[in-house]
Amino acid sequence: MALEKEIPAGELRELEEQTPVGEIFLGALMRRQLALSLRVAATLVAALGVQPLVAWLWPAYGALRVFGVPLPWLVLGVGSYPLMIALGLYYVRHAETIDDEFSELLEPK
Amino acid sequence: MTSFPAVLGLVAMLVATVAVGVFARRFARTTSDFLVAARAVRPTANAAAISGEYLSAASFLGIAGLVMKFGYDVLWYPVGYAAGYLVLLIFIAGPLRRFGAYTIPDFAEGRFDSPRFRRLAVALVIVVGLFYALPQMKAAGITVASAAGVPYAAGVAVTALVVVTIVVAGGMRGVTLVQAMQFAVKLFAITVPVFVLLVHFGTPGGLFAALAGHEAPAPPQPVVVHAAPGDEWQVTQAISVHLDHPTPVRLLPGARPPAVYVGAPQAPAPAGDGTATTLATATSLPAGRVRWEQGTDVRLPAGQPVPFGAQTPPSTTSSWLQPFGPLAGGSGQPLLFTYSLIVAILCGTMGLPHILVRFYTNPDARAARRTAWLVLVLVGLFYLWPPLYGVIGRLRAPQLYTGDLTDSVVLLLPRQVEPRMLGDALAAITAAGAFAAFAATLSGLLISLAGALGHDIYGRWLRPDASGPARSRAFRVSALGAGVAAALLGLLVENFDINVLVGWAFAIAASSFFPLLVLGIWWRGLTTAGAALGTAVGGGAATLAIVTTMLAAASPQLSEVLIRHPALAVVLAQPAIVTIPLAFAVMVGTSLARPDLPGGVAGKMLQLHIPDRLGLRRDYIPE
Repeated sequence: MALEKEIPAGELRELEEQTPVGEIFLGALMRRQLALSLRVAATLVAALGVQPLVAWLWPAYGALRVFGVPLPWLVLGVGSYPLMIALGLYYVRHAETIDDEFSELLEPK
Repeated sequence: MTSFPAVLGLVAMLVATVAVGVFARRFARTTSDFLVAARAVRPTANAAAISGEYLSAASFLGIAGLVMKFGYDVLWYPVGYAAGYLVLLIFIAGPLRRFGAYTIPDFAEGRFDSPRFRRLAVALVIVVGLFYALPQMKAAGITVASAAGVPYAAGVAVTALVVVTIVVAGGMRGVTLVQAMQFAVKLFAITVPVFVLLVHFGTPGGLFAALAGHEAPAPPQPVVVHAAPGDEWQVTQAISVHLDHPTPVRLLPGARPPAVYVGAPQAPAPAGDGTATTLATATSLPAGRVRWEQGTDVRLPAGQPVPFGAQTPPSTTSSWLQPFGPLAGGSGQPLLFTYSLIVAILCGTMGLPHILVRFYTNPDARAARRTAWLVLVLVGLFYLWPPLYGVIGRLRAPQLYTGDLTDSVVLLLPRQVEPRMLGDALAAITAAGAFAAFAATLSGLLISLAGALGHDIYGRWLRPDASGPARSRAFRVSALGAGVAAALLGLLVENFDINVLVGWAFAIAASSFFPLLVLGIWWRGLTTAGAALGTAVGGGAATLAIVTTMLAAASPQLSEVLIRHPALAVVLAQPAIVTIPLAFAVMVGTSLARPDLPGGVAGKMLQLHIPDRLGLRRDYIPE
């Protein structure tokens, strides 16, 4: 959900004084950040967690080769790192955007 | 066996470490300097230092050794170590920095307003820290021993001395500089030799093709392996060997009785059984087990399957190459084992006290996130390489299986490169890298152990009114004490696998600090009682499971029970998959049952989550 709908502009004081309104603002920020974190975590867990399952259900997976190297070794031992670095970059970008949007809404104009 | 170049590499690294540490000493004056480097370390330098600290002996020596021993399944270790950083980045890096405490115990007390909780957290920091220090000590022992030909204990002692010196002299400020330098050394020391090895022994595709041709590992040239009195070898098929002198042995038929593989030394089969005989110098070892009654040098023929030492389960190459090979498959519950290992490593990283304390050294949350991402890039770059040493080791140096020396493969493999001078130079480089690895991690651990003892126990509990100099002195004395304790415990673990010891530290951290941090940061409904109880139950259950596993290695009765119940054995050896949900459940359940929230929780949540630029944040402990 867009933050604009939940938070009226210029309400930094509400946060600072920890009023119930301020808590609602903060709750909205936390929900957006947590949703982002859970999204990234779910991608990571799915990408890693599916590998043992594939090997278990389809034993031929272990015998596949690419340029002579067994495919499971390549997927896990090489492919994991670019994926994790990309996920991390995605997270940092979006987390900073969320923080910035929140700050812009609340900062005195 | 003494290797002059390797000694040179060690000494060079030792001198560089002490020099940088002493140089940095001038910056370290206040407690803040000691513990969080005055919170002024930039992301690039900090990321290099964190990576330097994180890439421990388990990464530098252990992964290669374990890949050589067990094959594919071990790849979960480096991938999990890197993925743990991603988990840390997305859940806690930013908020924890905003909160601005020095240590996990500070967080526990600050977030929950409970000095009693601090003491529980301190106790856990010490348990995890010491568990994590043991494998570093083992690495120190084998590295110095294999390079300089001195006893294992001497290696442990020398390393402890150096590390305690730099920590006592420079604190966190000094250590940051030392660790950043050590990261560069490690990356260089793992990549350069591996490229030379690839040029020398063939492309990865060629190596795997060559491996597939040998179902049993066999040395390409005849090699000499020393058998110590009492060593037991498992001979998979009869081979002709040459002994130094006629040697009394006991021959035992058949394979070793099944044992739960836990990475702890296996209990030897009861003495007295088997046939006593004396082998002539030119003789044949029959298939089965050979127990040496006297020390001798054994010359193994080229192209024949090598015997496996007592701590190395025999493996066929086809199972070694595949998922659920000798490690996961040997557990009897491959899928459960694999998932539990993944969970422990993913969730354990953020619970390691010496890693977390570094995040407080960032100036703000934005820098903390960027630092964590950079660490991910740096460690990812590193973790591509160690498994290759394991692959080349199985092909070119299988005699390490016989001597139970797979943990040394990174140190010993480069010596096989021709010409001799190049091989010696590479051996010097990997020895220096190994030194950098255990020295960097040990110094980080000593900082956090000294932080727990000197800052949390002395400064906050025993003498809250102590002066600045008294606090610095307490920190230094604590670092010395922790170093001595780690060294003494390190003497006991010579026969344990480095990565298995590390896995235990991860499991305990994952079951206690991980739920505490995640729920403490993201759920305002967490009560003090819930958090403390969950931390204690999770950490306690994981510790208990691991201690039971260690005892099983020494107790035949217990070991027998575990062999009959493989799922139980797996859960005890890799408890995270049960103990993490348990800790979460206890925390949530207790909090919901008696929802009396700690004081000022709204303000605490604001501190954790408010964006830096709004300027509302205050460090929990001001400068």
